[in-house]
Amino acid sequence: MSNIAGKAYAMNLMTPFKKNNVWMNRLLFWIARLPIVQKSAFRGLLTLSIIHYARWVIVGRKQLPWLGEEQPREKLNYAYMFFFSNFNGSWTQYIDSFSIALPVRLNLMWYKSVGKPGTIPETPFNQYVLKNQIWTDHYYSAYPMASSNDVKSAKRVKEQLLNLCENLDTVNEDEFMKKYNRALFELQADLSQMEPTPVVSLANEAIKKQTRLKNHIN
Amino acid sequence: MPNVSGKAYGLTTFCPIRNGHKDGMANSSLIRKMLQDLPEDEESPMANVANTYMARFYILDDAIFESYPARLDRLQSKYLVFTSNFHGDLDTYLTGMWHGINTVIKQLWGNCVGFEKVDSAQSFVEYIKKCQLTNTFYFNGSTDDPLQEQLKSLFLKQEFSKFVFAHQGVAANQLLQEFKAFIAWSKPKVLAAPAWKAGACSPDGG
Repeated sequence: MSNIAGKAYAMNLMTPFKKNNVWMNRLLFWIARLPIVQKSAFRGLLTLSIIHYARWVIVGRKQLPWLGEEQPREKLNYAYMFFFSNFNGSWTQYIDSFSIALPVRLNLMWYKSVGKPGTIPETPFNQYVLKNQIWTDHYYSAYPMASSNDVKSAKRVKEQLLNLCENLDTVNEDEFMKKYNRALFELQADLSQMEPTPVVSLANEAIKKQTRLKNHIN
Repeated sequence: MPNVSGKAYGLTTFCPIRNGHKDGMANSSLIRKMLQDLPEDEESPMANVANTYMARFYILDDAIFESYPARLDRLQSKYLVFTSNFHGDLDTYLTGMWHGINTVIKQLWGNCVGFEKVDSAQSFVEYIKKCQLTNTFYFNGSTDDPLQEQLKSLFLKQEFSKFVFAHQGVAANQLLQEFKAFIAWSKPKVLAAPAWKAGACSPDGG
């Protein structure tokens, strides 16, 4: 059981809200999806650049999948918002960054959720997130050592490399040196090694300890 | 469409688990144990499902109670929650998933309501679509390129960073020769190899 796959953390939140507020929550997200709004509304998140992928899913009181008579019908009082995120860094860094970068929008995304305090001050909000979080049983990342920024910068590195490869057989060494230096200048924020960070090492250590306990190995 | 961001797709599924027990263990507990025992990283079964960026499984046991004066909700079934972020369209992805890991799929979903009718890629696609929930909002903070493209780019970033570090202050003629050798070895235009393996912690699979 792990919320962690290398540098990625899987967060799952389940938060209730009253059935009368479903339409308002859907409307707020519909507005957020408009390209012009999306660009400004999520500027903070894009600038932080710590999220690979995230989603919000509103489930009405009678909208959980029902697959036949063998399954009893749900009788829920509330609608629920499910939030799934794949982010880099520690839990605390993420929640703090979220509430600092998007305090107003965060309140709108969880509009009138039952029991939710404001995003600021942070301590009650952190407690609310922790209370509503569900642990992941199996989490997989195709690139555990890569952050979201690594994936994006890798794309730029490949583009520059392909550019450097052009006319490689005919270019003279001085021209190539100029081209190479120009490419490095463009890539100065993108070149780095992907290695385990302290957060990853501590998490891996915790997972190994858990496995040792599970297998009764000292 | 809120399930899609560019060419990235966010699949969200809640599959109801049969209420009941087997060998003294609740069906939901059996699935949880299987999930927790799955190998991780490049050994994870999801590493064999083409174009999976990130995926997760968990068991939803019950609704969360927000304390008085909120009302108490109790779920009538437990759910196997499976979400995936992948490149491409849903039918192709699920068909590939069935062909890649159907033995694992049958174990994990075997105690879910309605799964007894699943015996082929097509019936698996239909079953998952019955369990799918539409996202309200899907945020892509990464790229939406095919996974092989992403993995090749990550490999090149890692190796070119090493190359740059090792060639600081090198004369122009030596730089050009060794860059040519680097390109011949790393093959930037060939996606398949050498490249980072899906789920691996380093380019050499360590």
